[in-house]
Amino acid sequence: MKAFRSQVLLCAGGACISSGTESVRDAFQRELSAHGLEGEVGLVTTGCMGMCEIGPIAVIYPEGIFYQKVKPSDVAEIVGEHLLKGRVVSRLFYKKPTTQELVQAMSEIDFFRLQVKIVLRNCGNINPEDIREYIAVNGYEALGKALTTMAPEQVVEQVTLSGLRGRGGAGFPTGLKWRATAAQPGPTKFVVCNADEGDPGAFMDRSVLEGDPHSVIEAMAICGYAVGAAQGYVYVRAEYPLAIQRLKTAIGQARELGLLGKNIFGSGFNFDIDIRMGAGAFVCGEETALMHSIEGKRGEPRPKPPFPAVKGLFDRPTVLNNVETFANIPYIILEGGAALARLGTEKSKGTKVFALAGDVNNTGLVEVPMGIPLGTIVYDLGGGIPNGKKFKAVQIGGPSGGCIPAAHLNTPVTYESLPQLGAIMGSGGLIVMNEDTCMVDLARYFLEFIAEESCGKCTPCRVGTKMMLSLVNRICAGKGTMSDLQRLEELAGTIGKTSLCGLGQTAPNPVLSTLRYFREEYLEHINNRHCRAGVCQAMMHAPCTNACPASVNVPAYLAYVKEGRLDDALRVHLRNNPFPSICGRVCPQFCIDKCRRNDLEGPLAVRAVKRFMSDSRDDYLDLFPAKAPPNGKKVAVIGAGPAGLSCGYYLVLLGYDVTVFERQEEPGGMMRYAIPDYRLPRRILAKEIHNLERLGLKIKTGVNIGGASSLADLRKQGFQAFFLSMGADHEIMPRISGTDLPGVYPGTRFLNRVSHNEKIDVGRDVIVIGGGDAAIDCSRVAQRLGAKNVKIIYRRTRNEMPTNPIEIREAEAEGVKVEFLKNIEGIRRAPDGRLAATIRQMRLGEFDKGGRRRPEPVPGSEVEYTADTILLAIGHEPAPGEVLAEDEYKPAMKENALLANSKTGETPVPGLFAGGDLVAGPATVIEAIGAGQRAARSIDQHLFPGKREYFWEKMELPDVAVNMEREIEESMPVEYPLLATAERLISVEVEKTITREAAMCEAGRCLRCDCKLSDE
Amino acid sequence: MKNLDELRKIRDEVRKGLELRSGTHRAKIVVGMGTCGIAAGARDTMKALMDALEKAGVSDVAVTATGCAGFCEREPLVDVEITGQAPVRYGKVDVAAASRIVKEHVLGGKKVESLVFG
Amino acid sequence: MANTSKSSCACNGACTDAVWGELDEFIACQERGRNSLITVLHKAQELFGYLPVDVQKHIAKALGLTVSEVLGVVTFYHYFSMQPRGRHTVNVCMGTACYVRGAKKVMQAIQEQLGIKKGETTPDRRFSLTTQRCFGACGLAPVVMIDNDVHGRITPQKLAKILAKYE
Repeated sequence: MKAFRSQVLLCAGGACISSGTESVRDAFQRELSAHGLEGEVGLVTTGCMGMCEIGPIAVIYPEGIFYQKVKPSDVAEIVGEHLLKGRVVSRLFYKKPTTQELVQAMSEIDFFRLQVKIVLRNCGNINPEDIREYIAVNGYEALGKALTTMAPEQVVEQVTLSGLRGRGGAGFPTGLKWRATAAQPGPTKFVVCNADEGDPGAFMDRSVLEGDPHSVIEAMAICGYAVGAAQGYVYVRAEYPLAIQRLKTAIGQARELGLLGKNIFGSGFNFDIDIRMGAGAFVCGEETALMHSIEGKRGEPRPKPPFPAVKGLFDRPTVLNNVETFANIPYIILEGGAALARLGTEKSKGTKVFALAGDVNNTGLVEVPMGIPLGTIVYDLGGGIPNGKKFKAVQIGGPSGGCIPAAHLNTPVTYESLPQLGAIMGSGGLIVMNEDTCMVDLARYFLEFIAEESCGKCTPCRVGTKMMLSLVNRICAGKGTMSDLQRLEELAGTIGKTSLCGLGQTAPNPVLSTLRYFREEYLEHINNRHCRAGVCQAMMHAPCTNACPASVNVPAYLAYVKEGRLDDALRVHLRNNPFPSICGRVCPQFCIDKCRRNDLEGPLAVRAVKRFMSDSRDDYLDLFPAKAPPNGKKVAVIGAGPAGLSCGYYLVLLGYDVTVFERQEEPGGMMRYAIPDYRLPRRILAKEIHNLERLGLKIKTGVNIGGASSLADLRKQGFQAFFLSMGADHEIMPRISGTDLPGVYPGTRFLNRVSHNEKIDVGRDVIVIGGGDAAIDCSRVAQRLGAKNVKIIYRRTRNEMPTNPIEIREAEAEGVKVEFLKNIEGIRRAPDGRLAATIRQMRLGEFDKGGRRRPEPVPGSEVEYTADTILLAIGHEPAPGEVLAEDEYKPAMKENALLANSKTGETPVPGLFAGGDLVAGPATVIEAIGAGQRAARSIDQHLFPGKREYFWEKMELPDVAVNMEREIEESMPVEYPLLATAERLISVEVEKTITREAAMCEAGRCLRCDCKLSDE
Repeated sequence: MKNLDELRKIRDEVRKGLELRSGTHRAKIVVGMGTCGIAAGARDTMKALMDALEKAGVSDVAVTATGCAGFCEREPLVDVEITGQAPVRYGKVDVAAASRIVKEHVLGGKKVESLVFG
Repeated sequence: MANTSKSSCACNGACTDAVWGELDEFIACQERGRNSLITVLHKAQELFGYLPVDVQKHIAKALGLTVSEVLGVVTFYHYFSMQPRGRHTVNVCMGTACYVRGAKKVMQAIQEQLGIKKGETTPDRRFSLTTQRCFGACGLAPVVMIDNDVHGRITPQKLAKILAKYE
């Protein structure tokens, strides 16, 4: 081979080929010859490098520069700049998904850095269609060593010593299998390689066959020598044409060099391999079924024993291993079994290849040591979840496996640990799922798969899986009952115990594991007819409505706004949410996360339209839903925040006499005393609360229930039910020294004082501790109070901040600095009279129950920050103790927490209901409105039991024509108009209202998912 | 394949070409290939360096290109970096100088003082 | 014998004598008997586009098997088809990764654009539509395979352009 000064390695794995590797290769050939570089620069196509998401990939040596998503049009620049002039083309570098930082060398990318490659040692590094390259990296050396220096028993011994277990799924010790086959008498035995990689989501076998076929051929020959077989078969899926082609080429080349055939290495050992193509039957991955298929029969399994080692292919003793297992063998023979055994855990040795796919930044193949924590695979190798979505679970092990939720991200991945969690290693398919996956639908998907793939031989699997499927289908269609769920669990147990082969025995696993971790979702489907992921169409009005905690009919009011019918729009909105103007300013818009327009240019600017619509009217009175006649019952609401006011609103409309009692001097709760004026002007708040009062809701402020009067007093006054919505206003303070020094304030108390128009002198330097909405609000208020240097100190990273990214962006635009991975450890008074805070550097450690990485202190990293004011906004919690001090209400408490059903608001005390932040902890206005809405229903059912539909549950289809045939035109979402940062003052709104034209145009972008085709 | 030696013969033949991909080199030679460098004959220098290395049967020395270093007057410029030692820069490296640098410095381990860039 | 078989077949002229000849040649290189059945069926489907009963009868005779044995194998495996296929087979991956990344939406869009359902062929015999469980191209999910070309990261928008490339 000619010595080149540089080599271009192009990934020609299946995924990269489909992304266009071949035309990139042609472009390289053209450009290299145009510059006369053919003699200096080598061009090699290799097997899969593993990072399928960003192909085609080119790696240029000797520097090891890694270029991603290379298009033929990029090649001229790579050749002209990099190869000719030595200037790397940075625009094609890999970007770290979390930080967007550019990385130039392959070895610096976490995805590659954290891998240990044994099985994939040559994939992406050699040309799979050239046996000489395989030989150059010590290929066939292991076969030579075995044949010329080792007895067959010694080969088996090394494999046993390595602790290697079957990588196809079951994890049976490979050495035992070989030994059992070797021990059988008789001249005819077989070696079979299972390359019927049928588990959806697993593609490592394909990659090895495509990228390093000789490693499998060599291993099969070694196995043949060890057990006394002269013939091998590779059973490959017909769906892998490229793998079949490369394997054929490789077998041909091996035969040509005498590495397959008669008298290999002059040892007298003969061995040859044939390829058998599968024909699309999942059950053929099961070993007995697979052997039937090679024999030309229907691929049905048979009972074991006899095991294949005794009676296998053509009734002869047979070793059957999968591709990945075989690919370990040459390494074991060359380096010794002990070398492999040094990697991994006590019972799970070596490495495992995982096919990382689904909702993860770096999809592709990774090979890691056994025992690595699951979270490391998802976050470090996988680069986390794209598009700011939340991690929900991984599905591991395919249709026989199960899912593992966020709470178990620290689990080491081994053959032993996964079954404890209800999953299995399987062949290594690892599908990452975010909040948009419905776990019931996932179970349905796998059941459909199994029901279709069941070979039909045994009844539990053939009939049972169909019955399970029909039950899950009912649940997904919103027709399920609790007895369906019970049936489902019973069937799962029976099928698992009585099926003939592994396919049937493991068929119930996806149902069992989703039930284990996500039973709540099944119950929501059954009891609330709600699919939180927005997947199950049958129970959904529209994805946005489904996502809204108050189920606002978004498509309907958008349709009316588009027509300029603002009153109709408001009327529809008020059915589900009495605060359109407030939400038009502060809503975090759960609706747009699920907007189908996300797949096009971007979601609707729902909040901007809502704001325009609601600002058009001051008086809603004629637009509210019709009020039922008075029913003579009195209900008391404690706490005039969004939850309490909404609950009161709905109860008034249902005919109740409702009084809201508020401790503070004005109603509104956090909307009044925490959200600053520049985000939510007080006149807007006053307008919407005033409308409720005109409708008939009584609000009494300055009344302290639990103080001067009590729930028992109210009961004596004739109130028959109570809704508690006092919020979560107890500030959590960090346990550090100096929190009582002057100049140190709890965050919400600071905001509260500012909202009372108190002029606080914050000085020049302000430090805010925390990462939530309150912390951001504190920082922006401090800025407006004249601070020159405002710093937010947050102990995690930007990705973990529990606040709206837009808020962070605006705070930064106003000059606030955010420092991540830092925590406060103490405050003291400095000699100059200012405050001195001890700040420590943190790093992300293990995963917590919620699936977020827990920050841990870096020893010796303390520094001191000086400041004039320090605001501690790390969080708040409910403190309902005072209100529930009386004996008859105490059963509603456990320790310091309120016991309430978050769906219905019911507490253990009849007639006592609760909702909002008091139950959920600090959350958003719209969630509080939803809680008030649901509690109103529960209270009505408590006082007047009986089945009936509530007006807010009926979804109106607006009389605005929709042309379903019309092509969708591309149009970008309207931008939120913002005040220039220099003009931003404490009482001036930052955001402005869009124009009528813009609102109508934006509303017209709605895809009207509420209109369904008649056959749906 | 009669015996292991045959296999190893193929292996050693092909291995040189693959060593480039291992990322470890005993030495690195960097040729300035800016527009001015190429105009001054850097392409020929590059070829001469590679020929000299190939003739000597050396495969663990990387030859790469770099952009213009700004000393257009002294082009072609060549840097020799023996791993673990400070890099040495040579100026006006023509074909003859290139083979001398390979022979004396890269292989012999002794700087070619007369060619060192000022 | 070949000539008598082809008269009743719906292959649209695919089964010329040459094709039958190629099949016989292929069979001649195989071991006679059951072992070679699946290999031969793959070849036959590649040649004819599908496996009509006449072809199955022919293979049964040539390998010394009964027709019911051949039929039993053909119906067991998804890959084999007894219906004539279109010139191009559009194969939508329904693997888990594709499912998670929206294969359902893609399938809907294809059905709308082609006007056929899964398992059907367009009246002009241009496309047949099938699904498969995982092509192993999960990194590019959702994936559609048309003939042997894998197309990754499919969106309903991209689809029309891709389909137009296949005549």
